[in-house]
Amino acid sequence: MASVLKIDNLSISFGGLKAVDNLSFEIEDKMIYGLIGPNGAGKTTVFNCITKFYTPNQGSVKFKTIEDKVVELMDYKVHEIVNLGLVRTFQNVELIKDLSIIDNLLIGAHSQYKSTVIAQAFMLKKARNEEKLMREKAMNILKDLGLEDKAEEIAGSQPYGVLKNVELARTLMSDPKLIIIDEPAAGLNETETEALAIMIRKIRDTYHCAILMVEHDMGLVMNTCERICAINFGKKLAEGTPDEIKKNKDVQEAYLGKEDDIA
Amino acid sequence: MQLLKRKPLQYSLFGIIAIILPMLLNAKGSTYTLLASIGIISIAALGFNILLGYSGQISLGHGAFMGMGAYMSAYLVARMELPFIVGLVMAAIVPLLVGFVLGLIALRLEGHYLAIATLGFAVVIEEIFAEFSDFTGGWSGTKAGFPVIFGYKFSKESVYVLVILVLVGLMIATYNFMKSSTGRALIAMKKSEHAAQAMGVSLFKYKLLAFSLSTMYAGIAGSLYIHFFRFCEPKLWGIALSLDLLASVVIGGIGTIGGAVVGVAFLKLLPTFLQGLPILGDIDGLAFVLTGVSIIIFIMFYPKGLINIPNDIYVRFMKRGKEGGKDGIRVED
Repeated sequence: MASVLKIDNLSISFGGLKAVDNLSFEIEDKMIYGLIGPNGAGKTTVFNCITKFYTPNQGSVKFKTIEDKVVELMDYKVHEIVNLGLVRTFQNVELIKDLSIIDNLLIGAHSQYKSTVIAQAFMLKKARNEEKLMREKAMNILKDLGLEDKAEEIAGSQPYGVLKNVELARTLMSDPKLIIIDEPAAGLNETETEALAIMIRKIRDTYHCAILMVEHDMGLVMNTCERICAINFGKKLAEGTPDEIKKNKDVQEAYLGKEDDIA
Repeated sequence: MQLLKRKPLQYSLFGIIAIILPMLLNAKGSTYTLLASIGIISIAALGFNILLGYSGQISLGHGAFMGMGAYMSAYLVARMELPFIVGLVMAAIVPLLVGFVLGLIALRLEGHYLAIATLGFAVVIEEIFAEFSDFTGGWSGTKAGFPVIFGYKFSKESVYVLVILVLVGLMIATYNFMKSSTGRALIAMKKSEHAAQAMGVSLFKYKLLAFSLSTMYAGIAGSLYIHFFRFCEPKLWGIALSLDLLASVVIGGIGTIGGAVVGVAFLKLLPTFLQGLPILGDIDGLAFVLTGVSIIIFIMFYPKGLINIPNDIYVRFMKRGKEGGKDGIRVED
């Protein structure tokens, strides 16, 4: 499989509402991919299905893991997904507010810790070394993202823009193959959004991972994404390069309404 | 001063003071009894705080786990004449295993099923303690002696020292693993289940871990109890003890290590102090009433718990305080 993620006929409904309806798309290695659509189109639901926060009614999600093995994500539990090399952020920034920023990053490396509770309780050498290595790794990531001077700050005391970046930094702790970002620009101003675009590209180039993002900010999507899938009412409207999407009639209709609607 | 900010050092210092002060003051036997019971219950409360403070689960049966540790230890040491250390270790392991199995069943369900399951469990266990008299001595209770380690026979005063050593050791161990990946996973789980799951934390696994660990602490406390007081009966391990543990954690400070000790000391010392007063001292079951009233007062007006008072005062008067400590073991906001 050339692509890192392949979604086939994914469907989920809540009661009578089909939130995602027979959706298929695939993401190539190291690609920045955008998932767009009007409010309530089912974008976040797609994310939650991929990361197993929801269990889809049907469909398959194939993922190429860190070891280049293709697995079916439907066979895994929500907390096992990150081990495979697939990690996500949240729309409303889910950081642990009263831990320091570096501790938040260390939570991102949770699945990589091997030492036991007993080794940790007695601070055995193995546990101490492991902790030290993880801390170094976290510091390097913070340096790459220009956050190193904030490492010891308490997360809750930082502005929203910084927290968004910290959440991105946390995803990198798990050595991901694919990062799923839910509305990274929500709540950011224009300058912060521009900086974010640069950071997303930098992350892809430095850490060699693919990125899938859901975003409302069209500027950010058109600037950073190499391929875009537009959905509405859980169904795919169009897929293609940013230019193709811009010109697509269905997409324009979904966002702006039909011409004769206005008249 | 900088050195004093290190928590393990603080705990050790606390231990040294707790050991030396009664010696210097030439304390009476009854003072040692009071202090030792604070130390012993603190061990159980420390474990209880891992459960309540981090996994957010409530147990109403921790008294039963303490009892299990006590009877286990009494049986092995006093009846089978095995060394005290074997009794202590088994008193830790058996409740741990029982807690593990109980958690395996009860924690599969979301919500407060653990509280219900442990309550039922405690009632059953209390009956078993009473009826299973070959092992527990039944209603007439069971006896044990002061511990003997490597030929050294403990006295009342030196068992107290042992209790404090175990308490401080467990405080440091708890602090260490709370600062490591396990503790961070527990904190993450409490603060944001979604984030924890997305980062690979299995909620079930860590709730089970917190619960089994807390039952182990209770078992250790039980073993020390029987070897200090040298006698116990089934009624002792009932719901009142479990509620006391819950109360001390709430009063001392949920999710803190020192809070467990402070809370227990508060609940044990206040009635002793008030009993000396006129009118108030004459009320029957004063300790019971106080426990209830204190829980309500603290939950309503100061949910951070006693342990946070110095920090709050510091923040209020120095104006530049940081919120809580920086040790990852933080007080609720």
